[in-house]
Amino acid sequence: MYPTFRILLLLVVLLPLAAAVVLPLCGRAARRVALLVSLLHLGVTAAVVLGALQALALRGEHVLPGRDVTSYQLFQPEFVPGDPGVGGAGDGATGRTRWTLLSLTDAPVDKPGPHVQFFIGVDGLNVWLVALCSVMMVPAILASWVAATDRPGGFYGWMFLLQGGAVGAFLSFDVILFYVFFELTLIPAFFLIGGWGAGSGRRDAARKFFLYTLAGSLLTLVGVIGVVLTNPDPRSGAITFSLPDLMMNVQRGLDLAFGEFLSGNPGPLAAKQDLQFWLFVCLMAGFMVKVPVWPFHTWLPAAYNEAPVGVTVLLSALLAKLGTFGILRFVLPLTPDAAVAYGLPAVGTLAAFGIVYGAFCAYGQRDVKLMIAYSSLSHLGFLVLGLFAFNTEGLSGAVLHMVNHGVSTGAMFALLAFLLDRYRTTDMRQFGGLMGRYPGFAFLAFVLALASIGLPGLNNFVSEMLMLAGLYDARIPGMHRPGLAVVAAVGILLSAWYMLTMLQRVFFNPLREPPATGPQTPTDLTRHELLAFGGLAALCLLLGLFPQTLIGPMKADVAALDAIGDLARDRVAGRRPDLGPPPSLNTTGPTGPAPKGKGGGEPKGKGGGPKGGGGMPPPASPKGE
Amino acid sequence: MSDPLGLALTILGLLLAATVLTALLSGNAAVRTFVIALASPKAAAQFALRSELTINPLLVRAAHWPLIVACGASAVLAVQLLLTVAAAGDSVRFVSDPLTWFEAGKLKASFTFVVDPLSSIMLAMITFIATWIAIFSSGYMRDEHHRPDRGYVRYFAVMSLFVFSMCGLVLANNFLLLVGFWEGVGLCSYLLIGYYYDKPSAAAAARKAFLVTRLGDTGFILGIFLLWTLGGWHTDLTALFDHIQKNPPDTAALTTACLLIFCGAVGKSAQFPLYVWLPDAMEGPTPVSALIHAATMVTAGVYLVARCAPLFALVPDAQAVVAWIGGITAILAAFIALAQTDLKRVLAYSTVSQLGYMFLALGTMGAVAPVFAVTAAMFHLFTHAFFKALLFLASGSVMHAMGGVIDMRRFSGLRKVMPVTHLTFLCGAAALAGLPLLSGFWSKDMVLEALQLGAEGSHPHAGSFYLLLLVALVTAGMTAFYTFRAYFLTFWGEVRTPEEAGHHAHESPAVMTVPLLVLAVGAVGVGIVAEPFTHWFSGFLGHTPALQLAGRLAGAADVAHHFNWGLAGVSTLLALGGVGVAYMAYGTGGPERVPAPLEPVYALSRNKLYVDEIYYALVVKPAEWLAFMARVFDLFLDSLARLLAAVPRFVGNWVRPIQNGLVQFYALSMALGLAVFLSFVVFRISR
Repeated sequence: MYPTFRILLLLVVLLPLAAAVVLPLCGRAARRVALLVSLLHLGVTAAVVLGALQALALRGEHVLPGRDVTSYQLFQPEFVPGDPGVGGAGDGATGRTRWTLLSLTDAPVDKPGPHVQFFIGVDGLNVWLVALCSVMMVPAILASWVAATDRPGGFYGWMFLLQGGAVGAFLSFDVILFYVFFELTLIPAFFLIGGWGAGSGRRDAARKFFLYTLAGSLLTLVGVIGVVLTNPDPRSGAITFSLPDLMMNVQRGLDLAFGEFLSGNPGPLAAKQDLQFWLFVCLMAGFMVKVPVWPFHTWLPAAYNEAPVGVTVLLSALLAKLGTFGILRFVLPLTPDAAVAYGLPAVGTLAAFGIVYGAFCAYGQRDVKLMIAYSSLSHLGFLVLGLFAFNTEGLSGAVLHMVNHGVSTGAMFALLAFLLDRYRTTDMRQFGGLMGRYPGFAFLAFVLALASIGLPGLNNFVSEMLMLAGLYDARIPGMHRPGLAVVAAVGILLSAWYMLTMLQRVFFNPLREPPATGPQTPTDLTRHELLAFGGLAALCLLLGLFPQTLIGPMKADVAALDAIGDLARDRVAGRRPDLGPPPSLNTTGPTGPAPKGKGGGEPKGKGGGPKGGGGMPPPASPKGE
Repeated sequence: MSDPLGLALTILGLLLAATVLTALLSGNAAVRTFVIALASPKAAAQFALRSELTINPLLVRAAHWPLIVACGASAVLAVQLLLTVAAAGDSVRFVSDPLTWFEAGKLKASFTFVVDPLSSIMLAMITFIATWIAIFSSGYMRDEHHRPDRGYVRYFAVMSLFVFSMCGLVLANNFLLLVGFWEGVGLCSYLLIGYYYDKPSAAAAARKAFLVTRLGDTGFILGIFLLWTLGGWHTDLTALFDHIQKNPPDTAALTTACLLIFCGAVGKSAQFPLYVWLPDAMEGPTPVSALIHAATMVTAGVYLVARCAPLFALVPDAQAVVAWIGGITAILAAFIALAQTDLKRVLAYSTVSQLGYMFLALGTMGAVAPVFAVTAAMFHLFTHAFFKALLFLASGSVMHAMGGVIDMRRFSGLRKVMPVTHLTFLCGAAALAGLPLLSGFWSKDMVLEALQLGAEGSHPHAGSFYLLLLVALVTAGMTAFYTFRAYFLTFWGEVRTPEEAGHHAHESPAVMTVPLLVLAVGAVGVGIVAEPFTHWFSGFLGHTPALQLAGRLAGAADVAHHFNWGLAGVSTLLALGGVGVAYMAYGTGGPERVPAPLEPVYALSRNKLYVDEIYYALVVKPAEWLAFMARVFDLFLDSLARLLAAVPRFVGNWVRPIQNGLVQFYALSMALGLAVFLSFVVFRISR
């Protein structure tokens, strides 16, 4: 069974890429083929997710000891194609791959070392995002069903490339591979906005989007390379591109330095934290643009507004999540001390400001599409806060919110296709009283709008409550977390303000509608619209009623990050980790088999052990108090 | 079946089934697909792809049956539940096993319900009142059959959801679950107030109701999480209260948490300063107003504070805030009600005022025994539900007969035209005014007594209870006056009807008058039966474990309810005085003449103290201005980003002339550069 899932997982990435190649050849039939492929992809993903749920359920609450050489908390991907082991979890699977794309050394490829690998896998953090990529593709295609008549082959081809890039990035466990997929999404997005956009500003919007995100992500590349170079294996000095190995190296290095710190030598730790600060800045540069976090959001309204609505669905549901996922996958585990020290105070403040700012901007818009675009800024600010709370509640909530926001906001955008197909406009001032004209459409719009304002029973409520709880869990001294929680709660209130105002303008009041595009009077939801949007609305309710289905499988990986966060908090506060919480790294030490790189309970300095040839910069002014 | 939890869950299930069943009758294909999708996505997909999407209009006309049957059955079950709980003896509480909703780290939300005297009495009240309102609605909303968009089904589906949410709210034993039902109630009120969606005033009122209550809910949610951190990371009410009892947290933090929780109650129960949504909420169909004002929605806030008595009992400052907010609201709303010309608006402000009374009683929680304070508040809530539902339904009957007109200046003398409505309205008005022996009299007396006892006690804020007692008495007089002003203006004098009513304005059909009669009996008799001589109500409610816990925490002695002749006499005098003044001024049925010296006061009351205008200037306008400024600033940010992006191009333009292709120029610049460099080096060395 297990090896089958590896093939299926490979298909999840390769199917969209293959479709991207094939679709341009299909001509007029492209949209049917595209729908078929997206449904096929949905099936494959469903199989992978079901398999992953079983594999993840085996892990339980804590990361199983015995999977790795030390007891460090790691990401442990499942279903890795090219895994040298044959069986399933605990049955020989190593969670590593042999498929090396590029090796920077003459050493054998199957030993850990500086190899860029095709290393993909599923774990608790990405499984639902991959599912999201697959689920949202169907409404994205159906939302373009009528509108995308110009060169449909190319259009759907680029759409699948976009999806493939996003799926690949979510699945990657190799930092370079991640970066390649991460950047790959830019190209299709650029052509889709610039080539198929509706308005006159589409070229400008596409250029701005491309340059802005590229400028940010080039800094991220610097950050990624920096992390790799400065965190070699403390024993062998070899650098690695594998994310789990890199995590371990970072933890080991910090442990050693913290050992020194506790025995009275603060130099190494200060140096490490100082370095982390710069790496944090570089990594965050790209992710903050991609999310986006205020004030790096100015590409967003133009891009979301100018893109064809199906593309906007993908942009908001998938691409925005790449940024937050980058924070989750890279920033938190690779620069934990900086994430603790600067995450909430600096980035969190910007994000909190963005929550309120985005809400006010959304209220000020006259176009529904732009309003939802700005509401994304507001919601994702909340998500960033949840991530940097760096504890179980906040992280679970944030991962869940990535899915929830993807579904509800993506569905909102998709639903706009209804208006665009009939009237070619989404200007609020031209509509009124649609509740009587289109009761079906109105019902779906109400469900999605209420989901977006966090009505309990619908999906966003759960993740927002979890993130709020994460912000309350004040474990860092001197952090204004309740203040951020208040801002976040006010953000929920403001979201109700602009959403209900939109509903009032468009669906209440006497009937008012602009001239229709076609000769015949437009009718209520057609069957394919009902299927696409109604399914998403029902999904919102199901996710809101049974969220534990999603939270359960991510427990082990969230616990790993939470443990990293706890250790980082101790280091930043400069206190001895005397608490022994069960998932903590230090207490699980004795249970791990033959810990090679690490002493038992207390992080003892390994006699100023080798810090490797990675080039430690000289300690500058001590930061990270 | 005598298992209390089973009964309670059956009630919830019945109401939910009614919602689903009504939704399935909807002419809206999206609604039906949605409902089917929850049961089976596959069936929904098939339905969406294959089935006929329209529905038989005859089925639509039966849309009221699920609600009526479910409510009626629930009311019967609720009475049985009441008897079961009463038979179970002292300190009885049934908590259902928690079923996880979501859980991560220390936050755990679960589906868990509690049945105790407090929740069972609420449940009985809600389902009983809702049954009669549902029956009345089926008559009142009959005209909606003819509307093309089939609002009839929408109305009854949302009503079912409304009653379901309210029942869930009083049964929930987990704060996040409670928030779920709490917001569900808010959503249903939003949809029902905005029922006439093509009416701009209704649309605005619906949004206002949702947003203003949401403002309070923001505080509520923040309060819940603060309690979560203080109360050992519990969100289950029973566990949280037990934890707080064993480990009392810092008083300042607990006061903050209680006040934040109280924010939610202020919003939902329409207290000052968030009461502004309730008077506008009458834009919905009149039975909806009856439901909102009597049984559901506004009672949620009172219930919440009563339920959280173990927390509020610990913090005297929070109690004082509750009492003061209640007092201010009571007198303010009564003042505004004095000069309203819209019959429903008078009733709406009287609801706000009476809710203030309930919070006055709750505020004395620490000064008298919490059991007594909560009993007074809940008893007033209980009797108020009867007469306020009655008054609203009666005014709905008037509105129905008057062709949608509810302005008291345009009709009078209706007692001859609508005898049943007149009689029942009189019962309700007399009960609201607190005329002796009617139900409002007994409950109001209990509130006044709680205040008096609080003032005599040793509470740190005992002094303010004296003042609040005075406020409550003045309010009582004003209540009697404005209630009977509305009564005389509507039913006395010569017969006048507006032209919208047609030529033969007549009494409403039996389906509407029977509920009026039933509720009138309740409004007259429920008070005297339940409390003053039998002490059933206080005895029953006194068995609530949460209230007993609160009593132990507050350390106040148990107070037996004894009839207070002095207070009762004063309040009787005030009520009769109010009625008398109203008769002198309006006994002829209008038109209204205001004595010249009272003109400014009248205008102030008529214009609702200009509160809406003040809010518009202080909150709405600035928010809109901020939104505009945010938009402008966003353009500025965008141009800033463009400016930064233009720097490379600008630099490129600037240095481009250097690349002019002239070899001589390159040679010259090389030579010059070398010279500068060399001279620099020489200069450095020679120093």
